[in-house]
Amino acid sequence: MTQERPSEEKPYRRLETQSVLQQIAFRHGLEAMEASENGNLAWVTSGFPVEIPIAMNLGVVYPEQAGAIIGAQKIGPEVSNIAEDLGYSQELCSYARVSIGSTEKPEEVPMGSLPTPQILLACNNICGTVLKWYDAISEMTGAPVFLLDTPPIEKQQLPHNQEYVRRGVERLIEFIGSNFNRKLEEDRIREVAELSSKATRLWIRALEACKTKPSPLNCADRFLTMAPVVSSRGTEHCVEFYESFVSEVEERVKNGIGAIRDEKIRLLWDNIPPWHTLRFFNILASRGVVFPADTYTHAWTGNMVGVDTSSILDQVVGTYSKVYLNMGLDAKVDKMCQLIKDYDLDGFVMFSVRSCKRYSLGQLVSKEIVTERTGVPGVIIEGDMVDSRVYNAAQIETRVDALLEMLM
Amino acid sequence: MLSVDMGVGIDVGSTTTKGVLLDSSGKIVAKSLMLTGASAIQAVEQIVQNISSSANINLNGVPVIGTGYGRARVELAAKSVTEITCHSVGVHHINPDIHLLIDVGGQDAKAIRIGSSGRPEDFELNDKCSAGTGRFLEVMARVLEVSLDELGPLALQSKKPSSISSTCTVFAESEVIGHIGAGESAADIAAGVHVSMVSKIAALSKRVGVKEPVCVTGGVALNPAFRHYLSSQLGVDLWVPDEPQLTGALGAAVLALEQKGVGM
Amino acid sequence: MNYEGVIEQSSVGLKELVESGEEIIGYIYPHIPLELFMAHGFTPSLIRALPGKASGFEESLQTFACSYIRNLYSQRANGQFLTLAGLLFPGNTCDALQNLGDVWKVRFPDDRVFRLTYPVTRYSQDDSTTKFLTEELRILSETISNTFNRPFLSESYDRAVELVQDFRNSAQFLYSARVVNPKIIPYTEVARFVRTFLTAPTISSVSAVKDAASTVRGTADELGLVDTIETVQQAIKSGNYSGVKLPDDLGTPRIAIAGGMVEPQAIATLVNDMPDISDSFIVLDLLSFGFKTVFTESPSKSENPFLAMAQSVLSAPGEPTHEGLSYRMNAMKELLSNLSIQGLIVCEQSFCDPDQFESPSIERAASKLGVKTVRMPLDPELSDRGRIETRIQTFVETLE
Repeated sequence: MTQERPSEEKPYRRLETQSVLQQIAFRHGLEAMEASENGNLAWVTSGFPVEIPIAMNLGVVYPEQAGAIIGAQKIGPEVSNIAEDLGYSQELCSYARVSIGSTEKPEEVPMGSLPTPQILLACNNICGTVLKWYDAISEMTGAPVFLLDTPPIEKQQLPHNQEYVRRGVERLIEFIGSNFNRKLEEDRIREVAELSSKATRLWIRALEACKTKPSPLNCADRFLTMAPVVSSRGTEHCVEFYESFVSEVEERVKNGIGAIRDEKIRLLWDNIPPWHTLRFFNILASRGVVFPADTYTHAWTGNMVGVDTSSILDQVVGTYSKVYLNMGLDAKVDKMCQLIKDYDLDGFVMFSVRSCKRYSLGQLVSKEIVTERTGVPGVIIEGDMVDSRVYNAAQIETRVDALLEMLM
Repeated sequence: MLSVDMGVGIDVGSTTTKGVLLDSSGKIVAKSLMLTGASAIQAVEQIVQNISSSANINLNGVPVIGTGYGRARVELAAKSVTEITCHSVGVHHINPDIHLLIDVGGQDAKAIRIGSSGRPEDFELNDKCSAGTGRFLEVMARVLEVSLDELGPLALQSKKPSSISSTCTVFAESEVIGHIGAGESAADIAAGVHVSMVSKIAALSKRVGVKEPVCVTGGVALNPAFRHYLSSQLGVDLWVPDEPQLTGALGAAVLALEQKGVGM
Repeated sequence: MNYEGVIEQSSVGLKELVESGEEIIGYIYPHIPLELFMAHGFTPSLIRALPGKASGFEESLQTFACSYIRNLYSQRANGQFLTLAGLLFPGNTCDALQNLGDVWKVRFPDDRVFRLTYPVTRYSQDDSTTKFLTEELRILSETISNTFNRPFLSESYDRAVELVQDFRNSAQFLYSARVVNPKIIPYTEVARFVRTFLTAPTISSVSAVKDAASTVRGTADELGLVDTIETVQQAIKSGNYSGVKLPDDLGTPRIAIAGGMVEPQAIATLVNDMPDISDSFIVLDLLSFGFKTVFTESPSKSENPFLAMAQSVLSAPGEPTHEGLSYRMNAMKELLSNLSIQGLIVCEQSFCDPDQFESPSIERAASKLGVKTVRMPLDPELSDRGRIETRIQTFVETLE
C-alpha cells in the first residue's frame, strides 16, 4: 500500500466535521444496544415518520444504513450469501439480503448487524419491497411489524388518500402504545417535530450551499454526512452536528474553497451510491469532476412544525406521503431537471442499481426526458449499491469517459 | 442366454449418451458410452446396438427405461424417468451409504439427497445460468488457452487462486481476461475459476443438506481440481464411482428391472 | 394442445368479441372489480404475458425488470396488442407494475390508461382500508364515465354481479371436487374454464363452467361425494376445516401449486406435454389467476355498489403484496394439512420481488408440516422449459 499522501496533494478535501460522525455513529450504536436490552428497540425504514417512535421514547436503528456500512466494508457478497443459503434470490434488494444475512448470522457481521428489534416499523413510501423485507425479519426475530401504507400519489394527494394515511398514523401510535404501554405526549411530539425540522432545515442549507461555484461539497461528502439526518433526526445531538457542519460548509463558501481542488465539470448523481466503491467519486474528482447535487441526499427535505398533535400529524401525513419516490416518474424527472437548473449542472450520471427496482426502473425513459428538457447530456452506469459482484468497473469507466469527452 | 429378467437403462445427455444392461442380480452385463451428436434418436439406436452386440444378446422383450435430457426420444422405453431419480438409484445401487449426490455435467448441476430406498428425498438444480456447470470450465479453459483436461491439473499448481467474483459466466469471462492482462499466472487464474464454480455447487448442496459420505458424478467429477476445492469448501471427503458418467443409465437399468414384462 | 396453441385459441376468441363490437378494457393485476367494468358496458379482459415475445422492452426497461412486465411491454412495442378501449394498471401492488404504468404513459401516450390504487393493509381492524378502496373505485367509475361518456348502469351492474357469482360458485365446486377426487375432472379442463372466463366474462364462458359443474355434481352424486365436496368448499371459503373428512382411498401423490403471476393454464399445459405424468397429481392450485380469483367473495347486495365491490376485492385470499405474511402462512398450513397435501410446487416469476421474498417463507411453513417443496423459477417465455419439466417430473417421482 502506498503511503498516505498529505492532504495538500489529494484532489479532494476532507471535511473536519466528518471525524465527529464516527463518534455520533458509535454513540448511536450504544444507545441502540441499550434500547434492545431494555426491550424497546425499533428497526425503521428510511422514509418512516421516525418522529413518532422517537417521541414515544423508542430506540431506533436503520437497516438500510447498516446495509450501506456492510457495502462499504466490501463484504456485501458474503453477507448476501447467508441470505441466499436461506433461499432468498440474488435478484432481490441487496439491502434486504444483507439485512437478512446479518440477522441470521450476526456473529459473522460484527460491524453492520443490528441489535435485536422488539418492533419493526416500515413505510412503503420509498418502495414496496420494505414490507416483504420486514415481514421476513419478523419471521426470523419474532418482532411484530407495523406497515404504514402510503399509496402512491399522482400530482396531488387526494382527500381519501390523506384520510387513509392519517388513520394509519393514528394506528401506529396505538400500536406502539399497546406494545410498549405508553402514550404519545403532546409536548414530546412537539419537541421532536421541532428538532427534526431544525435538523432538516440545516441540512437543506448545507445542500443549497452547493449552488456556489466551486461546490463546497461533493456527493461522497453528502452521502457520509447525511447519516445523522436519516437516523437521528428528532434528537438534540443531530441538530448540534448539523449546526457545526453548516458552519464549516458556509465557511468554505465564504472563502471560495471547493470540495475538490480543481472544479471543471459539475454533474448530477441519481440513485443510491455504490457504497462498496465510493472511491469512484474521488477518482473523478482528480479529473475535475464534482457532483454538487444528487437525488438521494435531496430526499430528506421534509418539514413538520405544528401547534398541536393533530396538526403535527397532518404534516407528517403530507411530508411522508409526498416523498418524491412515491410520486411517479414525472416527479423524478421534475426533480432532476430542477436540480440541474438550480445548481447549474453540465450533465448527469444515473446509477442503474440492479437490485433497487423502485428507484432504477424508468431511468431509461427519464434519461431521455431530462436531456430533452434541460439540454444537458447524461449517462447510465450499471451496478448495485451493496452487491459488488455486479459492478463492472471497466464498463463504467468507458461510459463516464464518453460523457466527459462530450463536456470537456 | 435368456433375456428375461434383465433391464436396460439409456441416458441421453446433452453431450453423451450412455447405455447399461443389467442382469437380474444387478450385475452389469454390458455398457456403452458415445457422443450424442446432433441426433438423439440415432444415438439411442446406436447405443442399443452396442450393448446388444457387446453382450451377444437379443434385447427383444427386455424392459427399457429412458432418462436424461433427451429421455423423450427413447421410443423403446416403457417410460421415462428423470435423471435425478436415476442418478440417485444408480449411486445407491453401487454404494448404499451415500446420502448426498452431487452431479455436475456440461449444462447442469444437481444436488440430490438420497433416501434409504435409493430414491431422492430432496433435490436442487442449478438455475438457468451456466456458472456452476461444466460449461463454465469449458469457456474459461478456452480463454486460458488450455484444453479442458489440462485445466484441472493447472489449477492444482496454484497456491493463491485469483479472485473471481462475478456470478455470471459472461461477466466472469471478462474478469478472467482482466486477470490475464494484469499478469497473474495461468495457474492462479485456473484455480480462481474452480473456486468460483465450486462455490455455486457448494451453495446448491447446502440447500439440500450436506451429510457424509458425499458422492460426485458427472463429467466434471473427473476433474481433480474440482474435487479438491469442493471437498475443501464442503469440509467433507468425496467419493467418486469408477465410472461416474454411467450412474444415470445404471439407475435407469435398475428401475427397468422393476418393470416386469413390459418391453421392446 | 400445446401452450402456444391454447393461447392462440384464446386470442381468437377475444378477436371475435372485438369484431362483434364489444369494447375491451384490459387489466394486468388479478384482483379487479370485474362488475364495475361490466356495469359501464365494457368487457374486462386479462392481458397476459405470452411465450415468444421476448424483445422490444430494451428501450424502456432494464433486464432486472420482472419478466412479466418486460413481456407485456414487448408485446405492445411490437404492435401485438388487440385494439383495446383502455388499459387498467394497478397502483401500490408492486414496484414493477407501478413503474410499467408510468413508462407506458410516456411511451404510448395515445393509449387510454387508467389506474386503480390498492391499499396494502388488511388487518387494520377498522374500516379505513375499505373506505380507501371504495373511494378509489368510485373515482375510477367516474373517470370511465367521463372518458367514454358511458355511465354506470345499475341493471348492468346487477347482471354482472350475478354472472360473476355464477362463475365463482361453479368454479369453486370444481376446485373442491378435485380436492376430494382429482380424477373427477382433469385439472387442464378447470384451468381452461378459468382462463376463458378471465379472457372475457361472457354468458357463454360462464354457461360452459356451469354445465361442467353440473356434470361433475352428477358424477359426484353417484360416488356419494357431494356432501364431502360441499364441506371442502365451505371450509376453503371460511378457513375452518373442522368439518372436513376426506375419503380414505385418496390416490397419491397429492400436490398443490403455489405462486403469483403464473396462470393455471401454463402449468396444466406443461404437465400435459409430459408423456409420463397425468395432471391428476395436481390437487389444487393456490395461484392468483386461479384459486384466488375463484375463491373471492362476490359483492353482496348493497345500497353502495362501490363499497360492495371494495369488500369483494378485499376478500380475496392474501397476496404477497399485502401485509400479513404470518396470516397467509397460517392459512396455507391449515389448507395443506387438512386437505392431505403432500407436496407443494412453489412458482417464482423471475425478478419478481413479491414472489421471491415469499417463497422462502412458503418453503419454511410447508416443511414444518412435513410437506415437501420444489422451487420452480418461471418466466412467461418458458425459456427454461426442459429444466422445469424435469423438476416437476422428479418431484412427482420423489412422492410416488
